[in-house]
Amino acid sequence: MRHLLELQQITQTFEDGGSERKILDNLNLEVSEGEIIAVMGPSGSGKSTFLSIAGALLAPTGGDVRLEGTSILNRSKLELSELRLRKIGFIFQSANLIPYLKVQEQLQLVANLAGQVKAQSAKRSAELLRKMDLSHRLQAYPDKLSGGERQRVAIARALMNDPAVLFADEPTASLDAARGLDVVNLIAQQVRGQAKSAVIVTHDERVLPLCDRVLFLEEGKLVAGK
Amino acid sequence: MFLALREMRFAKARYILIAIIMVLVAFLVLFVTGLAQGLAYDNAASVKNMAATHFVMEDNSNHRFTRSQIDEEQLDAAAAVVGDQNVEPLGVSMTTVIPEGETVKLDITLLAVRPEGWLMPELTSGTKFSDLSKRYVLVDQSMAEDGIDIGTVLVDQASGAEWTVNGFVANESFSHTPAVFLSEQDWIDLQMQSPGHPGADEAASNTRYNAIAVKDSADQLTHLQEVLPGTEIITKSEAISAIPGYKEEQGSLLMMIGFLFAISAFVLAVFFYVITIQKTSQFGILKAIGTRTSYLAKSVALQVLVLSVGSLALSILIVQLFKAVLPDSMPFQLGWLTMVITSVSFIVMSLGGSLFSVWKVTKIDALDAIGRTAA
Repeated sequence: MRHLLELQQITQTFEDGGSERKILDNLNLEVSEGEIIAVMGPSGSGKSTFLSIAGALLAPTGGDVRLEGTSILNRSKLELSELRLRKIGFIFQSANLIPYLKVQEQLQLVANLAGQVKAQSAKRSAELLRKMDLSHRLQAYPDKLSGGERQRVAIARALMNDPAVLFADEPTASLDAARGLDVVNLIAQQVRGQAKSAVIVTHDERVLPLCDRVLFLEEGKLVAGK
Repeated sequence: MFLALREMRFAKARYILIAIIMVLVAFLVLFVTGLAQGLAYDNAASVKNMAATHFVMEDNSNHRFTRSQIDEEQLDAAAAVVGDQNVEPLGVSMTTVIPEGETVKLDITLLAVRPEGWLMPELTSGTKFSDLSKRYVLVDQSMAEDGIDIGTVLVDQASGAEWTVNGFVANESFSHTPAVFLSEQDWIDLQMQSPGHPGADEAASNTRYNAIAVKDSADQLTHLQEVLPGTEIITKSEAISAIPGYKEEQGSLLMMIGFLFAISAFVLAVFFYVITIQKTSQFGILKAIGTRTSYLAKSVALQVLVLSVGSLALSILIVQLFKAVLPDSMPFQLGWLTMVITSVSFIVMSLGGSLFSVWKVTKIDALDAIGRTAA
């Protein structure tokens, strides 16, 4: 089985008031095609740092990050930006849609950034939003959507450029139990259906049954659930 | 440019407010520029209207018509070099006249030209003077407001000479005084009455002008200078700048325009900086999902460009409206070239004002999207 995402010996240290703090300590992770990983841990355990490094937002102090088999270290800002655009899909805690774009335009923006022609992006975005059961909301602004709808738009946006890996940062935090489950279910369907990988950082134990593996971030390392 | 325009569509009220302020500033820039040009024209209209490209003036006259003296021999020498048809004598004298039978005094500038020469302005009414009709003058249209009409006799306060108004010309003034054109012969007669010219014979043989107007002779200027020692050849714009009050007036107005430009750039810079700071987290998210910094910077610049171009277009319209209703006493002139130059500078200044925001955008970190990374 191919590993879409590999983290090898990741170490991250921060300078904190003169002393050095180790947030991540020789962290290893391999995520295969079609696999969904849940990462749990108390606040302050370094989940955000882990996500930033895996998501090509932050360069680790030590170790290597490989996306589809190639290292993403020592790349320029522009190359990393391209990588996030095409290979990585982000789903944030509170959807974080652009307030002045209509639902379909949220998706067309990322397609546009990736150089897709308009006709193609219009078709693909409509198709994705249909899968998310949002066909009736194409022309709505985010402030008119419910929390669950917003999060579904965010999932569609993350999938728009057909990325290899999805990262979700507490995707259910702002949703009630039923909607939260719906959202993770949708992520799971897409990942399994299209042979992608997903890493979900979460506090929400109700979504764990939908994931293939549950890992805990403890003392800078990822350990399997008990 | 997907983002820039859609954001403006969404936050209409905010951008309309900015646009209104920019329209006002752009209007003020264009309006003051028009007034400055209008004043400049009003100040020096007669010289500006002349077909001459250069003027020959006496050395040490500081380029001032009224200080310079040129005699007949020099005129002949100049004519010999560049050709009779390319030189014209010019007399300039600022004086005060009293319309006969009235007590008001009017400050005017006497401009002496050859009746058939190319310095002679077009008439708007009345008849031209010929060499035969002595002691007739043509006056600027603005003098009609002071009760001057065709047939009115003007008495020169200094010399007592009397001239009858024979016609009107339009837009002729010198140092903000209306121009009164008189013929070369009347000018010579006037000279004979001044001290220093006691005898008629001497005056006739040594007529004094103030300058020689030259045209179509740019390639022969060095030669001209050689045959005319004790004189200097200056360009028309140098002569205009030396008209009393011209440079000072334009300096003040230019200062105002400069400040308006700087203020508009600053106002824009502050507006956009505040808006950009408000959107920091949004820009962070956009960067996290792979938006290039250059794309965001272009987006900010495009918004400024759209706003400044749109505001300019609107303010040009308003300026044209104002131009139509302004009274004659407020001279206003805004040619296409000036308008284009002003508009381009305004846009450049606006874009300059957005640079600070663009810089801010480049500093925003995509990590903001994930929240605090330092645990």
